[in-house]
Amino acid sequence: MKKQAGYSNLLLLLFIFFPVVLWAQETILGKITDGSSGEAIPFVNIIEKGTSNGTTSDIDGNYSIRVGGFPVTLVYSSLGFETQEITVESNRTVNVVLQESAAALEEVVVTGLASSVKRSNAANAVASITAEELAGNTPPVTLDGALAGKFAGALVTKNSGAPGGGISVKLRGVTSINGNSQPLYIVDGVYVNNNSIAGAGLNAVSGAASGGNASNQDNPSNRIADINPEDIESLEVLKGASAAAIYGARAAAGVIIITTKRGKKGRTKVSFSQDVGFNTIINFRGQRNFTEDRVFDFFFNPSSDPVEEQESRDAANAQVALFRDARDNGRLVDYEREIFGEEGFITNTNVSVSGGSENTSFYAGFSNNSEDGIVKNTGYDKKSIRFNIGHNFWENRAKLTLTSNYINSSSDRGFFNNDNTGTTIGVALTSTLPWADLFPDENGVYPDNPYAASNPLQTRDLITNREDVNRFITGGTLDVRLFESEKSNLKLILRGGVDYYELITTAIFPETLQFQRPPQGLNGVSALGTTENKDANYSAFLVHNYNTNNELSFTTQGGLTKQTFSRNTVRNITSDLIATQTNLDQGANVSVTQFRQEQEDAGFFIQEEINYQDKVIGTIGIRGDKSSNNGDANKLFYYPKASAAVNLHKFDFWKVGFLNQMKVRAAYGEAGNFAPNGALFTAYTNSLIDGNVGIVVPVTLGDPSISPERQKEFEIGFDSGFFNNRINLEFSYYNKTVDDLILEANTEPSSGFTSRFANAGNLANRGVEVSLNADVFKGEDFEWNSGILFFKNKSEITELDVPAFNLGGFGAGLGTFRIEEGKSATQIVGNNADGDLVVLGDAEPDFQVTFTNNIRYKDFTLSFLWHWKQGGDNVNLTNLLTDFGGTSADYDDIELDPTGQLGNGPFRVNAFRNGNATPFVEDASYLRLREIGLYYNLPDKFLKGVFRGYVSNVKLGFSGNNLINIFDYNSYDPEVSNFGSNGLSTGVEVTPFPSSKRYLFHLAVDF
Amino acid sequence: MKILRTFLIIVFSSIFMISCDVEDGENLNGPTTSSIAEDLSRAELIQTMAGVLSDMRDRLGTQIDAQAVAGREYWRFQSSDPRWTADLLTGTLDNNTFYTTAPYASRYATIKNINLLLEGLSNSTAGFTDEEAAATRGFANAIKAHELLMVLNLQYQNGIRTDVADPDNLGAFESYDQALTTIMGLLTSSLTDLANGGNSFPFAIPSGFDLVNEPSSFMTFVNALAARVEVYRGDYNAANSFLQDSFMSMGGDLNTGVNMTFSLTGADIANPLFFALNSTGANARIAHPSFITDAEVGDTRLNKVVLRDQPLTQSNLTGEYDVFIYDSNVASVPIIRNEELILLYAEANHISNPTEAVNAINVIRNAAGLPNYSGGNTAAELVDEILNQRRYSLFAEGGHRWIDLRRFDRLGDLPIDRAGDATFSQFPIPANENQ
Repeated sequence: MKKQAGYSNLLLLLFIFFPVVLWAQETILGKITDGSSGEAIPFVNIIEKGTSNGTTSDIDGNYSIRVGGFPVTLVYSSLGFETQEITVESNRTVNVVLQESAAALEEVVVTGLASSVKRSNAANAVASITAEELAGNTPPVTLDGALAGKFAGALVTKNSGAPGGGISVKLRGVTSINGNSQPLYIVDGVYVNNNSIAGAGLNAVSGAASGGNASNQDNPSNRIADINPEDIESLEVLKGASAAAIYGARAAAGVIIITTKRGKKGRTKVSFSQDVGFNTIINFRGQRNFTEDRVFDFFFNPSSDPVEEQESRDAANAQVALFRDARDNGRLVDYEREIFGEEGFITNTNVSVSGGSENTSFYAGFSNNSEDGIVKNTGYDKKSIRFNIGHNFWENRAKLTLTSNYINSSSDRGFFNNDNTGTTIGVALTSTLPWADLFPDENGVYPDNPYAASNPLQTRDLITNREDVNRFITGGTLDVRLFESEKSNLKLILRGGVDYYELITTAIFPETLQFQRPPQGLNGVSALGTTENKDANYSAFLVHNYNTNNELSFTTQGGLTKQTFSRNTVRNITSDLIATQTNLDQGANVSVTQFRQEQEDAGFFIQEEINYQDKVIGTIGIRGDKSSNNGDANKLFYYPKASAAVNLHKFDFWKVGFLNQMKVRAAYGEAGNFAPNGALFTAYTNSLIDGNVGIVVPVTLGDPSISPERQKEFEIGFDSGFFNNRINLEFSYYNKTVDDLILEANTEPSSGFTSRFANAGNLANRGVEVSLNADVFKGEDFEWNSGILFFKNKSEITELDVPAFNLGGFGAGLGTFRIEEGKSATQIVGNNADGDLVVLGDAEPDFQVTFTNNIRYKDFTLSFLWHWKQGGDNVNLTNLLTDFGGTSADYDDIELDPTGQLGNGPFRVNAFRNGNATPFVEDASYLRLREIGLYYNLPDKFLKGVFRGYVSNVKLGFSGNNLINIFDYNSYDPEVSNFGSNGLSTGVEVTPFPSSKRYLFHLAVDF
Repeated sequence: MKILRTFLIIVFSSIFMISCDVEDGENLNGPTTSSIAEDLSRAELIQTMAGVLSDMRDRLGTQIDAQAVAGREYWRFQSSDPRWTADLLTGTLDNNTFYTTAPYASRYATIKNINLLLEGLSNSTAGFTDEEAAATRGFANAIKAHELLMVLNLQYQNGIRTDVADPDNLGAFESYDQALTTIMGLLTSSLTDLANGGNSFPFAIPSGFDLVNEPSSFMTFVNALAARVEVYRGDYNAANSFLQDSFMSMGGDLNTGVNMTFSLTGADIANPLFFALNSTGANARIAHPSFITDAEVGDTRLNKVVLRDQPLTQSNLTGEYDVFIYDSNVASVPIIRNEELILLYAEANHISNPTEAVNAINVIRNAAGLPNYSGGNTAAELVDEILNQRRYSLFAEGGHRWIDLRRFDRLGDLPIDRAGDATFSQFPIPANENQ
């Protein structure tokens, strides 16, 4: 992923073939040294600015370059150092001191809680994403959305198209069946909460949980969405236990470490950027092409009873008449377009001010993001303020860094996904026929929808389903060098952080809605959920460095960590509202539920790193963790790690000239994953009858002796650089197993419980990740960098101590996941036409490939990211629902029926009736242009002329997300999940909020 | 030396750390099953019993719908889950989907609540008197018997587990007959306990049980349940004697009985069997046309169905009448009521005392606005008539028609609406029972 400022072989060729001097030449000589160590720097690129003339420094840092004349500007650049330009007026010796660049920070990766290692010495394939890669092409709606396709080994899935989050990130396969499978996010040392809290209580209206699957299917957003991508300097991904072991008991699903922007010493920089754009639906499902015959056939039911048959014929003819009338008068309505056809307006404003004096630096950022959805009355609004400050004192022996972030966001999410009451907009649409008249009259009164339980236009216009977040994230680090000598130093690092948020979910379903009208309806529902969440983490580390005379260095570190988590969700639902009132006391029936959770974790770690001349780097470490969430709160669980990297190219025997870097590496580590809430206890839930409060057993039996899941990952690979790192190739293979898998396995329902928690299985993920990055062309005016990632993962349930069980779908007749020994953890099974339970698919992609290109020509840059996901299946039930409603676009096409008799609609309905799930499992492969950005930087000359130096940079551009999408999947988008982020059940589709593509225009100015 | 110093600091800190205890996690959201089973306080008895009575209603709608659809009493239309009009009418049943698993699991959850309550009662240090303990046992075992019978009604010849107190060591499946014997045993032990149960229950009795709200009157309910079980078992003599001790009343209100009550307050639940008239295909219960066409002229029980404004069609089934036996979503649902008892009485007597049986039948007929029974007195004729009266009297209430025809091996009498449809006599054992 890194861009190498490497010497261009092409230039070298030019240099060789065009030695002919056409004009008088002068030679400049000099030596280049490192500003911090004073040592010579070899292989520095020296280019005569504005030409293709260049050379490199030799092993002793000496160089000589012939130039055409004076004055001449020479550009000195080398990996890890600030690029310097020097204008030379006359023929003289020019010695240059290069300073280590801030960009060099990119080149370190975190290996311990308190230390990092140069990337070239790292023993893991740690992915780093820079600010530019994250949000440079096109600004993402949310942070996690920006991760898709940016690094190898991740499966990033959007749960719905509703703006404002709801994204699942799985690193190197499924790591837990019932426990947390989302990575741990750490922002500037603060453990940031990424819960998805279904606080709105939509189930009171949708009844989604009352059918075949007990999930509320509310589709809440997840809280990492609050972090502003514009504030991020860099992001590092530890994909599995071998890299993340030092994070211990919460690291099994991987760790994403985020560093936000800091100020730099020097002139205060003010940056302003404004994006304006819009989004539209990626793909309509389309409308059925109705004819009079088709309308008649859909409504007519032959019967043996002639009277009944005549009635049915009359009813069908009545519908045909309605259809004919609407068609002839041009009143057929495409309700899909009516609902999803909006263009949502997007505006992002970012302002940042950063700078610093000798001892103090600061970064202040403000952003306002607002994005309307493709459905009226949906959208996402976020305001974020960040203030980061760093201060050095005690003669630079101590450094205090404080980061603080306030976020206020509001997300209107509409009413989608599955239900059992026919009331969500999505489900209502499936049976709404184009000749229905659903538009409000001049008094704003909506007609009832004769074809569904709700009028989707009315639902869209009148309901509220909003999440409001007020969040503070603040953290501090104090870094003190306690002791320093020539050979060793000792550093103390104290760190603390708090993440506090209040999430308010508001759901209002006024009594005027078709489905709220009594006696069947609830006469209006107002639900207010309030969640208060406070996570805090504290830690103290000591880091000791020691160098021996023979360039052997030791870094020893140890530390203590403590984290506390507390959550309190109170949900009030009032129904039978007084007129149009929505306050919770303005109704006949009020119910309250509360959920509280407190957790405390404590741990320690010790790590030793040994580096021999950057040739061989070895690390061993261990982390011990205990938690109130374990069966025995004071039992320490130990997570060891060990790794080694060998830089072959640094050894004297290395003679492969074109292969300038060759590192082989191996790493092993273990990490844990806590039992989900409730696994420990069998807690009664409450009930009420006739005013008497009662307690009833839950559906799941807890296990008081449950222990955390343990992931063991072994990773090997190599990193290689060709032609002075112009081409980089990285390869990794990993084998990670999860032992003591916590399963909420089905149990005999006669026990009174339908499931029980147990440590009852093992799981393995094996995969490869290949990354190839090349500076295809590197010149003054034209640069082209290209990168390809290829990755694949295969999972297997290697041991299962409970009988195979289904989960995460709607049963074998519709396609469901099934946990079965010896099979893929994400297999999708279902009954086939013969009624046998067979494997119908697998949610895991066969492989994924991404193709990134950054092309610069003079002041224009073009970047784009293609993402190809091959394979991976979904359970698509939207089709079935539209078949029932007679509205599927392909209802009459004859493609599925092997006998060529039935249209797709009747075929799927028949399959369903016969319990055959085959037609509902669909390939969810896609190829999409995830991101594209075209930018133009106003030339320096122009800026200097017009703005007299007050403006240092002006950038204009256009960008887009998902502008090209190629897939064979028969719905809005193969990237979908009815059941939210966690666990296995991504890829089930039931009338979701469709996803959108985005077009944006940009203006950025730096002062 | 420096390394040593660092090392020592780390070691000391770690020791400090390890000595710093983390408190055991607590569940903050409700009492746990172990705390109830280990010791039951007076307050907890009230709450667990309310839980039992509340949980009896869980998924009741699914069970009654499933049995009523199986018995062609009505069709259940649900646009988002058409298995109602597929599996349940074709008889190709899934052993791992909601109509099989949900009612089954819910009834056993209630039984779990009862078992925990009984275990807690026997371990209680709250000082319950013998009378209080006996009254509680009597009440709890009667409900447990009712719940087991509900499961057995679904499972029929598959049999069921009755010993389910220990989730790690569940009892074996008992055959249908054996399970009925076990249920009968629970009811007789309940009667014994209730007889020694003093004058009041040490817990709140919901209004649906007003008729039977003290141990002595509660026995009339237990006897009624026992009569139902004996009729199912075909032991008409025993049924007769239980009916004598039940709340059966030939001249009384046919609706007198024991009910489950519903409300919209807080954690209470609404009547799951209520749908408004003229509901859309999203959710509707449409009376099977034969219920109307087969009715005798003038049968007022036809008021249990209401002509719709428009016929409703789903899955090639068209009906014109809504099922409408509950007038609101807080209407009570009977557990057992006088009308059924009189019909049980008719059945219990139809061989031994046909005249008495006909008398009972006439009570029902006259109440429905029909003239006295004019048919023959042979057992077969009387069974026809009793089944017919049960069909109309207990319509849509508890899935009785399916059970009744099954008892007489007459499921073949049920109308078949579409080619490929078929009847079935029992639901499959849920897949997760691993049988």
